[in-house]
Amino acid sequence: MSYYFAIIGTQDNPLFEYEFGTSKQGGDGQSRFSEQSRHLNQFILHSSLDIVEEVQWTNGALYLKVIDRFFNNYISVFLTPSNTKFLLLHQPPSSASIAPSSSTVTSSSSASVSSSVTAIPSLGGVGGVGGTRSSSTSIAANPTSPQTEEAIKNFFGEVYENYVKAVMSPFYRVNMEIKSPVFKNRVAAAGRKYL
Amino acid sequence: MQPFEDASLTDSLQSLPMAASVMRTQKQRISDSQPLSQSEASLPYRDRKQPNPSTASLFRSTLTPPGSRSGSPAPSTSGGRASPARTLSGSVFGSGGLKQSLLDTGAADNPGDPLNLILKSFVPHIAIHGSEDVNDLVREKGFSNGLWELLRPFGERIQGKVNIRDSVGLSRSWDDFSVRFTRFGDGVEAPEPLSGSVLRSPPGTANGSVKTDLLSDGNPGTNLIAQVERVVDRHLSYAEEASTGNLSPTTPTRPGLDLNATSPYYALYLRRLLSGIPLACHESFSHPVASVMAISSRNPSPIEALRKLYVETSQGEHRLPVWVDGEYLRYYVLVHDEEQSDITKSMALFDQMKRHFGLHCHLLRIRSSQSAETDDDSIPLPRSDWMTAAEELSDIQRSEDEEEDFQDPTRYIFESDATAIRTFIREMVTQSVIPTMERNVSVWNDQVASRRKGLSGKLMSFGKRWGAFGSSSRNSTSAAGGSNYDAAGGFYKPDTPEAIMRRMADYAFMLRDWKLAMSTYDLLRTDFQNDKAWRYHAAANEMAALALLIMPQNMSSKTRLETINQMLDQAFYSYHTRCNSLYGTIRCLILALELLRLRGGSGIDEAVRWGVRVLDARLMGPVGNALLKERMAICFAAKTGVGSQAWGSRRRKSALWSVLGAEAWISQGKYLQAQKCLNDARRMYSSLPGECGVQKFATASDFLAGLNERLKEGLGHRGEYHHHYGGYDGAGGVEEGELGNEVEEESENLNQDNRPLHQRRKNRASLSISAAAANLETTPPPPLTPLLPVKLQQHGSDDGSKEDRERSSGGVRKDGFG
Repeated sequence: MSYYFAIIGTQDNPLFEYEFGTSKQGGDGQSRFSEQSRHLNQFILHSSLDIVEEVQWTNGALYLKVIDRFFNNYISVFLTPSNTKFLLLHQPPSSASIAPSSSTVTSSSSASVSSSVTAIPSLGGVGGVGGTRSSSTSIAANPTSPQTEEAIKNFFGEVYENYVKAVMSPFYRVNMEIKSPVFKNRVAAAGRKYL
Repeated sequence: MQPFEDASLTDSLQSLPMAASVMRTQKQRISDSQPLSQSEASLPYRDRKQPNPSTASLFRSTLTPPGSRSGSPAPSTSGGRASPARTLSGSVFGSGGLKQSLLDTGAADNPGDPLNLILKSFVPHIAIHGSEDVNDLVREKGFSNGLWELLRPFGERIQGKVNIRDSVGLSRSWDDFSVRFTRFGDGVEAPEPLSGSVLRSPPGTANGSVKTDLLSDGNPGTNLIAQVERVVDRHLSYAEEASTGNLSPTTPTRPGLDLNATSPYYALYLRRLLSGIPLACHESFSHPVASVMAISSRNPSPIEALRKLYVETSQGEHRLPVWVDGEYLRYYVLVHDEEQSDITKSMALFDQMKRHFGLHCHLLRIRSSQSAETDDDSIPLPRSDWMTAAEELSDIQRSEDEEEDFQDPTRYIFESDATAIRTFIREMVTQSVIPTMERNVSVWNDQVASRRKGLSGKLMSFGKRWGAFGSSSRNSTSAAGGSNYDAAGGFYKPDTPEAIMRRMADYAFMLRDWKLAMSTYDLLRTDFQNDKAWRYHAAANEMAALALLIMPQNMSSKTRLETINQMLDQAFYSYHTRCNSLYGTIRCLILALELLRLRGGSGIDEAVRWGVRVLDARLMGPVGNALLKERMAICFAAKTGVGSQAWGSRRRKSALWSVLGAEAWISQGKYLQAQKCLNDARRMYSSLPGECGVQKFATASDFLAGLNERLKEGLGHRGEYHHHYGGYDGAGGVEEGELGNEVEEESENLNQDNRPLHQRRKNRASLSISAAAANLETTPPPPLTPLLPVKLQQHGSDDGSKEDRERSSGGVRKDGFG
C-alpha cells in the first residue's frame, strides 16, 4: 500500500506533504505511486476537501475515517482544532501495479521476504501470508477494515502530537509551510510504526 | 380492372404535370449548384480548408445550439407554437424536489436534455412495410429509401396534444409525444442461446466463456457502441477542422458550466446510443406496436397487394422472429398520387379498403413530383434526429468519398404534402395506435398481471420456485422445465405470461404510465431471476430503476436510493458479467446517471459513483470516456452548497473532473473541447473561498500549466495552419517547411504531407477507429494506448519526448485506476 499524507491549511494550501509506503509485511517504506500519478494524488486530495467540509458537521469526532474514494484511492481525514486538516490518501496495491512493484521489492529486499511479498496482492490478505501477519495484511489489502482504521487513527494521533509541538514554535505563523526536518522524521517514524 | 381504365383515361392529363415536374427538377439542380459555387468563389479563404459546405448539414446537430434547431417539421408550421402552458405546469406542481415527477420539473422540454432524450427514445415503434409501387412513388419524390424515409421525420413530433389514459383511468395530455418509424424487420438482434450453456457452467468458469465470446466480434451491441463512438468522433473532428477557418465555433465556448444545456456531443452520444435500440427478445420497446401496410393508387390490384403485404409480415421469410408477438396492429394506407391518379377512383378504392380491413385505414394524398428549394410552397424536410449511428456514419463516409460533388442531403417537400403526412400520422397515432395500446395494457393488466399479482399468482410462483428447488440436483435446464423460459433458445415465447407482462410494462412506459410500468417490472424482476433469464432480468431491473427515478415519489430519499441502487447493481451485474452485453450495460448506467443527476441532492453523488463504475469497467472508448468525464464535472457542479461558504457543494470535485476531461481531450487532439474543460476548471477553482485552487500544490499546478501549454500549442498551430493554407490558396504557391520544426499531433501535421484534407482526415479517423475498436473488444482492454504511437516515435525533438512522457503517464495512470 502506498500513502500520500498532507496537512492542509485553511486556504486549501498544503502545509506539509509526505509520501511513503507500507513498512509492514516486508514493505520497504517506499511509495509505489507511479511517477505520473503524483499530480493526481494532489488533485484527488484537494477535491476531497469538498467532502471534508460536508462531513465535518455531521460527526463530533476529529478522526473522520475514510470519507472519500476515487477509483482505487481512499482518503482518510483527521481534523485539528485550528481548521487545519490531515489528509491521508492510501492506495492498496491494485492488480495492475502488482507486477512491477513486487519485482522491485524482491530485488531490493532479502530472499526470505520476497516469497511472502509476492503472495500478498494476489491473495488479497485472506491469510495466504501466514497466521503471524494476518492483522497487518488486512491493512494493506483492505482500506476500510477496522484494523486499517485503527492503524490510521494511531498514525494521525502521533502526527497530531508532533504537529502541535511543531506549530508551537514562536516563529510559526498560521498557514505557514512546515519545513522542520525533525517533524518530517517523526512523521516518517509514525508511518513506519503504524502503517 | 378499375385501375387500368383509370390509368388509360388520365394519360393525356398526366403529360402536362409530368413535364412541369421535370422542368422543376432541372431548375432545382441548376439553382442548387449555382449559389454554392458562387459563395465558394467569393470566399477563397474557405475554399480549401473548409470541408465542402454542404457537408455542414450532416453535422448540424452539434454545430448549432440545441434550442434553435428545427427538430421536426411539425412545430415549424403550427404557427410559432408558444408553450407557456408547459412551463407553467412545471411551476404549479413544483413543490418538493423528490415528490414530483421528473417530468414536471421542466427538464423534459429542452431538446438536448437527457430526460427528453429518454422520453423520445422509448416510444412506440411503427414498422413500415410498403409495396414496390409505393416505394417507386416516393423515390420519384427524391427519397431513395422509400416511404419510411419520407415519414420518419414526422414521427418525431406528433402535431398537437395527445391524450393518454393511464391504467387508473386518468387521462393526461402530452404535446411532445412521438413515435419511431422503422423499416419492417430492421435491426433484429438474435437472442443468445449461449446463456443456457453459461448458466450450466459454474460461476468460476463463466468468466472464461465471456472472454472468448467477446473476442469473437459477433456482438451487435459492441458494434453499436463502436459506431456511436465513431460518429461522435467525426463530429468532434469536424468541429476542430471548422474552427481552423473563419467560422468561429458556435458551441464549445459557452460561458460557464451551463447546467441546463447539455454538451452537444454528449447529447449526440446519448441520442445515437438510444436511436438504435435493437429489436431484441428481452425488451419489447423496438418490437413493432403497429405496422403500416402501404400501397399506392398506381397499384393494379390493390386489395391483393395489401393481402400479400399482410401475408409477408405474418408468414413470409421477412416475418419477425418467433419471440416477437405477431398480433400487432396492422394499419392500411393507400397513398394517392395527386398528379397522376384519379381521386374518385382512389376514393372508391379506399371505401373498399375500409370495408375489407376495418377502421385502421388511411388515404394519404401526396404529389408525386419532386419539390425544389425554390418552389413557393416547399419546405425543407429536416434529417431525422433519430437516425442510427450506422446510417449517420455511412452518410459522413459518403460525404468524404465524394468530397467535391457531395450533394446537400436536405430534401424538400411540398407544404401540402407535409400537411397531409402530418394529419395522417396524427390520426393514426391518436385514433389507432394509442387506443390499441391502452386497450392492450388494460386487457393484459386484467387478465395476466392481476392474476400474477393476486394471491394465486404468488402461490403459483412460490410453488414453481419450490418445484425447481426440489429438482435442483439436476442442472438449470431441467429446472427451467417448470418455467416458461426457453433456456435453450434464450427467450420467452410471446404468449407466456412473462412475455406479455413485459410487453405490458413496456407499453405502459411508452405511454408514460410510470407507476404501472414500475410495479410490473418489479414483479418481473423476481420471476426472471427465478428462471435465470439473465438478459431479461437485467432489462427488467434497468427499466424498473428508470421508471422509479422518473415517477413522483413518496419514499424517503434514503430508501429510494437504496432501492434504485440495488436494481442498478443487479442490472449491471446481469448485463455486464452474466450476459456480457456492452450496449445494455452502458445504456443502463448512463441513463441512470442522468436521471439521478436530475434528482439532485445525494442523487448526484450516486450518479457520479455510477459514472466511475462505467469508467472503471472500461466500457467505452476514448471519446465516450472523455465525454463522461466532462459530464461528471457537470454533475458535481450541479450540486449547490448551503450558506455563504457553500458547504456541501462539490466545486473542487467538479474542477477535478474537468481537468481529467481536458487531459483526455488533449490526448486525442480535440483541443476545442479541452479548452472548454480547462476553462470550466479554472472558473471552478477561482470560485473557491481561497481562490487559488490547486495552485499551492506544486506538482498539480505544474500539471495544469503543462496542460495549458499543450493546449496553447495545439490551438496555436491551428492558427498557423489556417494562415498557411490561406497563403496556399491566395498565391497558388506554398512555402514548405514553414512549420518544418514544429511537432504536432497527426491531425495538424502538415509539414510532411500535402495530401488533400479529406484524405488526412480519413486516415486519422481510421486510426482512431481502430484504437477505439481495440479498446472495446478485448475484455481487459490494454492501457489506453495513445492514438498515434507511430507518429510520436518519429519525432526525436524535446517536445516530442516530453509529449511522449506525458502520454505514457496517461496510460499508466489509467491503469492504476482499474
